Amino acid sequence: MAQLELFLQTLISGFLLGGLYALIALGMALIMGVMRVINLAHGDFMMIAMYIAYWMFTLFGIDPYISVFIAAPALFLFGLFIQKYLLTPVMKVESILPHNQVILTVGLAMVFSNLATVLFTGNYRSTPVNYASSAWYLTDYWKNSPIELSLSMPWTISFIIAAIITVGLWIFLTKTDTGKSIRATSQDLDAALLMGVNVNWVRMVTLGIGLVLVACAGCLFLPIYYLYPALGKQFTNVGFVIAVIGGMGSTDGALIGGLILGIFESLTATYIGMGWAPAGRFAIFVAALVFLPGGVASIIKKWRLGK
Amino acid sequence: MKRFSGIVVCIFVLGLFTSHLLAQDVLKLGIPLPLTGTNAKFGEIEKKSYEIAMEEINAKGGIKGKRVVLEFEDSQGKPEISRSIVERLIDVKKQPVIFGEYSSSSSKAVAAVAEERKVPYLVVTGATDDITQQKYKYVFRMNPTNAYYATGFMSFLKEVVKPKTIAILYESSDFGTSGAEDMVKQAQKAGMKVLVKEQYEKGAVDFKPILSKVKAARPDVIYMVSYVMDAALLMRQIKELRIDANLYAGGAAGFAIPEFIQNAKEASDLVVTATLWSPQVAYPGAREYAEKYKKLFKNYPSYHGAEAYSALYLIKDVLERAKSWKSDDIRTAFKATNMMTAFGPVKFEDKEGYTNQNFMDTLVMQVISGKHETIWPAKYASTKYVYPIPKWRDRK
Repeated sequence: MAQLELFLQTLISGFLLGGLYALIALGMALIMGVMRVINLAHGDFMMIAMYIAYWMFTLFGIDPYISVFIAAPALFLFGLFIQKYLLTPVMKVESILPHNQVILTVGLAMVFSNLATVLFTGNYRSTPVNYASSAWYLTDYWKNSPIELSLSMPWTISFIIAAIITVGLWIFLTKTDTGKSIRATSQDLDAALLMGVNVNWVRMVTLGIGLVLVACAGCLFLPIYYLYPALGKQFTNVGFVIAVIGGMGSTDGALIGGLILGIFESLTATYIGMGWAPAGRFAIFVAALVFLPGGVASIIKKWRLGK
Repeated sequence: MKRFSGIVVCIFVLGLFTSHLLAQDVLKLGIPLPLTGTNAKFGEIEKKSYEIAMEEINAKGGIKGKRVVLEFEDSQGKPEISRSIVERLIDVKKQPVIFGEYSSSSSKAVAAVAEERKVPYLVVTGATDDITQQKYKYVFRMNPTNAYYATGFMSFLKEVVKPKTIAILYESSDFGTSGAEDMVKQAQKAGMKVLVKEQYEKGAVDFKPILSKVKAARPDVIYMVSYVMDAALLMRQIKELRIDANLYAGGAAGFAIPEFIQNAKEASDLVVTATLWSPQVAYPGAREYAEKYKKLFKNYPSYHGAEAYSALYLIKDVLERAKSWKSDDIRTAFKATNMMTAFGPVKFEDKEGYTNQNFMDTLVMQVISGKHETIWPAKYASTKYVYPIPKWRDRK
């Protein structure tokens, strides 16, 4: 029984963690798909959103979940700005390296984390919300349950909001004109250009939306985690690994890839050792590249074609 | 007339100052400390504390009638710079006694110089065991070494909790690993069985998998070596999973500072932690020093500050007891030390492979209604400990 309890509890944690990971990776995959750019500043954008949420909480007492509505629009505008004045100009520059923009995102990441250190010091910060360690317990609802499982309240709220945002993104991409233009650009850039899609505008919006997603992820992470200027790198890594597992540029793949990584990390922590989690993350990354180069997306595609 | 009186006043005031200076002899003491670099924060705390002690001592007539003037020298946390500072203090300034430095590596470098030049050196904060294990004759250490850091905690376990099993969680860094290894040794010595020993990568988001494993193992004590944010996350998730151990304990660092309580909130309740010193411990002068420090610098000092503050009082005590200020007389005076300071009792002993080492009971703190209280050893406690602790389910 104890073993079953351990396994189920691990699965629950992994699933909740995976949902949040997926939200980070979604933005990265979207940007990757449309712009063919690996955004290596992704985690640092998340850090910025978290600082916004942190100050809203500390100065005005605004709950980090409410800050989603402040941080997300802020980062959307920031994304438009960065695409228009930084990424697009760089794209036109001739260079021996094909990925000037990727290098630019690395530069941005450094600037952001250093700037945050200068402005806010390197101190660790957090928003001690009242519900931080609240949870629902199986035995509270089912008195004679042989096992005890718990469901953390902030983790679950974060997961549900992440799910809502993901559904919102899906509706946006499939039902609206802008969404369709984004998908068209992602599938075939030249064709989209010929069909009269304003590709530059699409790129701006895509970066904006990508950052909105990661900003939401930041606000959802804040109540269950903490914050410091160099936090970005860790989450850029997570996003990147998931994007590779999911199949680069595929949003469906990112969603499934996120859940896979979350559950995988939890299982590693329980059955092998938590110190192995980072090593496990890269093992699965390499395995995905070698054995499944197209990622989860290629499986989805095959399954759809087969039907 | 007006002008004349102005001049008179001026001369009078000047006279007051100079006579004041001339009348009192000055004792200049150089202190090597890291004031820049990565350890600067601790150097700063110590500097402020030395200064508080200096003012108090001077207000009461100084050391043997001499006014104390401290001169801080920045060692940047680099042993080679500490070394050259101390060489200058001994060779050029002929300082009769050396004290100070923060890190273990710098203290070790200074100890070697002092022993070579036969000048007594008081180690104030360096905690690596081997500094006082080299049979140095002129090196004295007032702070407990790493290996004795948890003595107070262990005696609390032995006399109150009486656990049979323990689970150890620690950060995968030098600090975490050495803390965990020490605890394994201590636990085995005390006859406890280590059920789980797990490390985690700093920055982990979700501890629930290993905590579930701990829960399944049902240990009597959960011992964690973490920095503050991980400490808060761990306790929050322990509460979330309702892991009912007899005792939750932290190995100082992250668990001993107020930020832990701010972040973990009610999950921090009744958590116990080993520490060297706390602002509300019942040592004479400790609370007064802590309050004075807080008034001046807005925060309570860490134990490093208390060590520095007490070190100057110890130096005063030694210099006043010494027959003359020759090296060997000062050394004899050091040997005979038996005093109570704001940091705790100081007495230099040779035992268990150590020479001139101060063995003192380290403290145990417990979070009681949202505040750290000293609970062990009982004679220095600020409140009575809360044990047994209620199960999570029964807490509000």
